[in-house]
Amino acid sequence: MLKNALLTLLSLAMAIGGGGGSVWYALKTQDGVGAIRIGQWTAFPDIGTPAADPYSKARVAREGVLALGRAEGLSFIAERDSSGEQLMRQCAYTIEGGFPTARFWTLYAADQSLGVVQTGRPRLAALQSYQVLRQPDNSVIISVGSRAAPGNWLLTEGAGRMYFVLTFYDTPIASSTGLSDVTLPRILKVGCNA
Amino acid sequence: MRKLLHAILLGLLGAGIVHIIVLLLVPEFSERDAWSRLAMASDLYKMTRLDAEAGGAPVVKSVDPLFYAAACRFDLTDGMVRVKAPGNVPFWSISVYDRSGYNVYSFNDHGTTAGLLDSVVLTPAQMIEVRKDLPEELQGAIFVEAPIDEGIFVIRAFVPDDSWKPTVSRFLDQGSCELQDF
Repeated sequence: MLKNALLTLLSLAMAIGGGGGSVWYALKTQDGVGAIRIGQWTAFPDIGTPAADPYSKARVAREGVLALGRAEGLSFIAERDSSGEQLMRQCAYTIEGGFPTARFWTLYAADQSLGVVQTGRPRLAALQSYQVLRQPDNSVIISVGSRAAPGNWLLTEGAGRMYFVLTFYDTPIASSTGLSDVTLPRILKVGCNA
Repeated sequence: MRKLLHAILLGLLGAGIVHIIVLLLVPEFSERDAWSRLAMASDLYKMTRLDAEAGGAPVVKSVDPLFYAAACRFDLTDGMVRVKAPGNVPFWSISVYDRSGYNVYSFNDHGTTAGLLDSVVLTPAQMIEVRKDLPEELQGAIFVEAPIDEGIFVIRAFVPDDSWKPTVSRFLDQGSCELQDF
């Protein structure tokens, strides 16, 4: 009798704990259903629309997100560099390559909650396309790190995990057909402060 | 032993069912969605800054650090709502969201004739009434037909560098969000 009760309890605990926990885990990770991956960059083009999958819908409701509309822009998030390692705030990176067509884009270094990294300096940890220097072939090379660098410099500081958020505004790639042949810049690790 | 296996299988099946139920109920019962957060910050028909620049923590997440944003909540059962903001800024864009935070309509400054922000949100039924006799003052406005009752209107404006901050702030602070009599 007691054995039966214990087994029932085990089933219930597994059902409730496992079910709730798996939802929490699925909503926490950046990856997931409805994501489009281009290189190291992930986007959710359907997020915030009625056509979104249930996971995106739950994420929107839980985090109070007001997602960008199709006519506004599209955001890409990177959490790993091209060798597959997690982005860290104590490391220096180079972001290089071509950017797809858009009126302009912004790039910023973000913390876990996707807010901009607080560096404690007047300079914002963000860049936008009107202020960057370009190579002769129109590609862009950006140095990321806590030490000032010539050319385009994205300031980061501190320690811990980091994300890059790259947003294209007023862009044709936000419509679903435009996403197939888009290439995004590579993220290469330069070195780390141990 | 077989009983234990049975119990574990049942538990896994139950976990699957609970996963689906919880997932579908999160949007229904969330008290942290954008509407609830805005409701705590301000009243209906009141422009509220979303970025941290205006003081305090940002009301709604996922605002680009190079952008300022403002939002107002409205209820179309009271009548149609008109949103205006004076002045020229490098880039602005508009999104209209329904009660649960889904984007129902968006456009940007290239969608207007003079780059001036003047927009009216209304239901299809109100649109029919307005079409019958379009008032002179609404000639240049952009009409957003949205089949919703309660909604959120969000203006986002680009701040390319620090020198633009006062201009863009003024653009958003002078923005109005009013019930339009008709």
